[in-house]
Amino acid sequence: MTNGLVLAIIGAALAALLAGIGSAKGVSLVGEAASGVVSVDPSKFSKVLLLELLPGTQGLYGLIAAMFILLRTGVLGSGAADLTVQQGLGFLAASLPIAVVGLISGIMQGRTAAAGVSITAKKPDHNGKAIIMAAMVETYAILALLISVLMILNINV
Amino acid sequence: MNGTKYADAVGAVRAMENTLLGKSDIEQLINARSKSEVKSIFSSRTGNQLADLNDVWNFLCEYAPDCEELKILLYRNDFHNLKAVLKAIISNRDPEQYYIAPSNIGLSELTDAVSKKEYDLLPKYMQKTALEAYELLTKTLDGQLSDSFIDRSALEAVQKSSEECGIEFMKKYAQLITACSDIKTAYRCCILGKSAQFMENAVCGSPEIEKDELIKSALAGTEQLFTYLETTHYSEAAALLKESSAKYEKWCDDVIMELAEDARMLAFGSEPLAAYFIAKEAEIKNLRILSVCKEFGADKETITERMRKLYV
Repeated sequence: MTNGLVLAIIGAALAALLAGIGSAKGVSLVGEAASGVVSVDPSKFSKVLLLELLPGTQGLYGLIAAMFILLRTGVLGSGAADLTVQQGLGFLAASLPIAVVGLISGIMQGRTAAAGVSITAKKPDHNGKAIIMAAMVETYAILALLISVLMILNINV
Repeated sequence: MNGTKYADAVGAVRAMENTLLGKSDIEQLINARSKSEVKSIFSSRTGNQLADLNDVWNFLCEYAPDCEELKILLYRNDFHNLKAVLKAIISNRDPEQYYIAPSNIGLSELTDAVSKKEYDLLPKYMQKTALEAYELLTKTLDGQLSDSFIDRSALEAVQKSSEECGIEFMKKYAQLITACSDIKTAYRCCILGKSAQFMENAVCGSPEIEKDELIKSALAGTEQLFTYLETTHYSEAAALLKESSAKYEKWCDDVIMELAEDARMLAFGSEPLAAYFIAKEAEIKNLRILSVCKEFGADKETITERMRKLYV
């Protein structure tokens, strides 16, 4: 295994790890807020569940980016390529947008969605507004994933 | 991640806020024909959930990861109970009928600590006051003097703890209750012609209402007192106090409710919990006023006038 390949694998690991941590933190925060509501009013379970799911997507984006790196470098499939350090650094850099943005946006989306749980608790009819507000944060995770994927696909191997 | 440890508790409180009485509920209650009808309307509207403050407090403590910050809200009850216990010990009576719940220290622990003079069993913010009040009461046998000393100490304790916890909501709460209480005390002292020494003992002082200025103006008479208050943030309160004490009391409760309303916009932290407690306190007070008014056959206008501001 070349140094370049090691760097690429580190990149894949970072994408899955950091975005996953962001999602885990975000989902757990919304879960806490949702539990409080459901313990008092169990009928709101389905409505708050939607909000709890939202910060979970960052982890999924991290997984997608990591899979792309592993496929492009041949770790998954045809056999690992002999990557140069420059190529490895390229994959590592390509993983950073979704790794960092995934971490931060996961946590922030969790905060927004947890605040949205309060809207759902008090005014269940306005649940859609809470979802839209939390979904806005998602935009930046999608943009970061897009950039990461474009970079990963355009590195010459 | 400021305040996110309260996410669970805030969620529960938001869900419970739906059971708080709204404007239309209060109107319905005002239109009720009797005290029993008030009770039945209230029960059907809220399902008697968290109908007394003790239940509200237990509910908040059950959900909050840390009740320390909220305990400040009960300080005044603690100090009131201290007054009751001290007088009961001196006069050999049962303090239970004067005991207010919820409080941070139970009646039996408080009675034990004071009667055995083991003040270190009391919460830290009460220890010195309990010792000094006991000595003052046994030395002078002046209940009014000891009461005013305890009341002032309660406000000082609220101020100190709110500063220590560093929560803006609690600091504002401390400032408001101190100012409201100080103005009322100064006005009463002024009317009763109390000495400067008595006022010094009774008035707490706050950044908004300067203690020395308040005492100086109260000693000079009611006109001077109102002239001074007009120069402070409490000019509106002073104008109401001139009209009647009941209007002033309502203003004080309403201004605290306005503070609670600000916390309604917050999604995290202990503030929404404190706001809910204040909201329930006001709701229970409104029900009490309604019951008394119904019992004495007060007209709708009088009842409406006395109703405290609502949270929802």
